[in-house]
Amino acid sequence: MKLPLIILLAATGITAGCSTSNINTVSRSESQATPEMVGDKRIITDASLGKMIRIVGVNEATVSGNLKKIQVTLENAKNDPRTISYKFEWVDKDGMATGGLGEMWKPLQFGGRETKTVSAVATSPQAVDFTLKLAEAR
Amino acid sequence: MNARNFIFSAVVIPTALFLGGCETPAAYTDSKGTGTVVSLDQIDIQDWNRAADELVASLLASGVLERAPEQPAILAISRIVNNTMQQIDTDSLTKKIRVELNRSGKTITTTTLGLGGKAEDPLAKEAAEMQAMLGGQKKTTTLPYYTLSGKLIEDRARAGRTRQVTYTFQMSLTTVKDGLAVWEDEKQITKIGTKPSVGF
Repeated sequence: MKLPLIILLAATGITAGCSTSNINTVSRSESQATPEMVGDKRIITDASLGKMIRIVGVNEATVSGNLKKIQVTLENAKNDPRTISYKFEWVDKDGMATGGLGEMWKPLQFGGRETKTVSAVATSPQAVDFTLKLAEAR
Repeated sequence: MNARNFIFSAVVIPTALFLGGCETPAAYTDSKGTGTVVSLDQIDIQDWNRAADELVASLLASGVLERAPEQPAILAISRIVNNTMQQIDTDSLTKKIRVELNRSGKTITTTTLGLGGKAEDPLAKEAAEMQAMLGGQKKTTTLPYYTLSGKLIEDRARAGRTRQVTYTFQMSLTTVKDGLAVWEDEKQITKIGTKPSVGF
């Protein structure tokens, strides 16, 4: 009689210890925003990361007259909280890297099933294209 | 092989090799990579880079720099108040911001006009005065259209052995002619843990 009780208590303890923190959201049913979406090309070299973090969309804008701003919407496809690292890189019309301070790896934390946006502003007016790099956190 | 030699070769040597192997020899790492040290008692290189990058992105996205009548707008660096417990060279933040704004072509920073009359580049200031004197002209100083000021704040919390530190980087861009802050923002970086680590 005692064995099922012990199993039940152990299962409860394990479940409590591994409780997920999925994110619920609410927003306007019909969005008023009209983002300028960008077609994207994806290169997946880490299949598990590709399954874990889904790229929902990419949109762009021009700020300060002639500087590109890119925003990428990412979604944690898993129920567990995740931390990844990301980095934007920019290139000019000749395909040359423009460099800059912003080209650094940054950490990004997700709750379970959470959607987040990452963005970057090209500090060089010559920048026309971007690459977003994603990597699992150490 | 007697018992003492056996213990020495079976336990002591492997232990010494194992412990020796755990030490990490000094090596170069990418300042903008994920292998840098994450400290709980200081602002790390990646924290400065991230704060500066996000503040620059915010300032450029705000569009206020486009409102200056002359492009690029002239910027002067004002006081950056350090309210952290660290000894900080505030150029760790402001120089990065200046470099990126200069790259964008939106601002150029004066180095002959500084807080309290101190020029960042005293030789340039003296040379300009000398040039004006030799030319028999009155020295003219190019006044900034904007000034950049800010404050660094540190907030600490603790729960048992777990320590948390938050660094807040506040910045304001003020129009000189009317003294109004036309752009303001703050970025926070929070680190939590029991000890410093390598990589994130």
